[in-house]
Amino acid sequence: MSYLVHSKELQKIVVQKRTSRQIMFDVIFALMMRELKTRFGNNRLGYFWAIAEPIAQVMIMGIVFSIIGRNSVSNIPIALFLFTGMLPFKLFGNLLTQLSAAVDANKGLLSYRQVTAIDPVITRIIIELVTFLLVYVLIFSVMAWLGFNAWPDNVLGLLSASTLLIIFTVGLGLILCTAISYWKDASKFTAMITRPLFFISGIFFCAVMIPPQYWHLLDWNPIFHAIELSRDSFFKAYESPVGSWFYLSFCALVSFSSGLALFHLSRQRFINL
Amino acid sequence: MIYFDKLSKYFLTKKGPHYVFKNVNLCLPTDKNIAVLGPNGVGKSTLIRLMGGADNPSKGQIHSPLNISWPLGLQGGLQGSMTARENVRFVARIHGYKNTYPIENKVEDFAEIGKFFDEPVKSYSSGMRSRITFGLTMAFDFDFDILLIDELSAVGDANFKQKSEALLEEKYAKTKLIMVNHSISELKQHCQAGLVIKHQNLFYFDKLTDAIKEYQSTYAK
Repeated sequence: MSYLVHSKELQKIVVQKRTSRQIMFDVIFALMMRELKTRFGNNRLGYFWAIAEPIAQVMIMGIVFSIIGRNSVSNIPIALFLFTGMLPFKLFGNLLTQLSAAVDANKGLLSYRQVTAIDPVITRIIIELVTFLLVYVLIFSVMAWLGFNAWPDNVLGLLSASTLLIIFTVGLGLILCTAISYWKDASKFTAMITRPLFFISGIFFCAVMIPPQYWHLLDWNPIFHAIELSRDSFFKAYESPVGSWFYLSFCALVSFSSGLALFHLSRQRFINL
Repeated sequence: MIYFDKLSKYFLTKKGPHYVFKNVNLCLPTDKNIAVLGPNGVGKSTLIRLMGGADNPSKGQIHSPLNISWPLGLQGGLQGSMTARENVRFVARIHGYKNTYPIENKVEDFAEIGKFFDEPVKSYSSGMRSRITFGLTMAFDFDFDILLIDELSAVGDANFKQKSEALLEEKYAKTKLIMVNHSISELKQHCQAGLVIKHQNLFYFDKLTDAIKEYQSTYAK
């Protein structure tokens, strides 16, 4: 019988005792292979859409802007201006959607003792960040090739603003993930949060275009701050009157620590979902 | 030996916590195959899940120096949106195998479900699922000291049953079983010792016949 022949082959493979860290690496690697296959494998255009979607949105808005006769904002070419707002917002939206469903989508696999609830979360963070980085670098390389000045003036500032935005989003994602374990309909909040934020996060406008007496309507929004600070760092020509490092850091810290705490306290629940 | 140390497990219900196990202290010998006995809803599957690490105790702990399998049963363990091959790969990877092909081939040969091996598991019949679950165990069992089996052999046609039982038989020398099954005759065929669940506690019997007697005197009406 053929399966007995295989069994002899198998016994040659000796599995060493692994440390906890190695087990976690193995689990995250296994989850990553699985996630990549479901996200990009079934639809072979998956990676194409990750790049094409923000480009298409920027193109449409760029056309609208040029129809109303604007080619630049604060001396920044309109395409660069839109990309520097659109890409961080895409990161926020995608990461939040992916994280809030991370545990739910993998709950069948939590019955293996090696897999804990945080593993699918870490896996999805890695996938989203790598995708974001690739898309960001690709789009801006093409922009540079087209003759735009696409190298950020303050790389460190751009990285800091992005990192703070990521920390904030991960915290919010963990909170939503936990909320879904108590109440399944909470997944509807993800769309309810991201949709309206698209219009008030300064993707197609910036603070200097708004009269100062109305800033208070927008400046509670940490994503608005993240985008303002990204642009502030990216373009020397633009100085954000609103973007506050302190406020964004504060939001990131509060969101991340409460997200981690809630997730840790409810880790038992995820297994019994 | 599997040690149960002040183990409690409860589930939250609308009328407060429902205790399945309350303060269980036990050293479970693992030199024989053990049948778990109890009526529906008393906690047999929960016990298997707790031992297999698929669920966590509410209080206390279970520990053992032995290598215990994950719970092999019809529920859980396989992700419906993935194909059988992807499930097998996943399990091989989390157990630290870098090269998953030998295991994939072995499960594929054992399961004999043809082209469905590359279809999502959610499209399978329960018989096909049990073939995959069983095939997975067979590919890994030389690693495990104890196999946890939850009503697995209940499904499957005569041909497959014969094949899987022959294979189980073959592994007895190295691997012990802890098994849940509603068919007493099947338990008698595989197991020598018994574990009865009653009064939210566990009672171990060295001889299966004693355990069955205890079970019947407790629960028979």
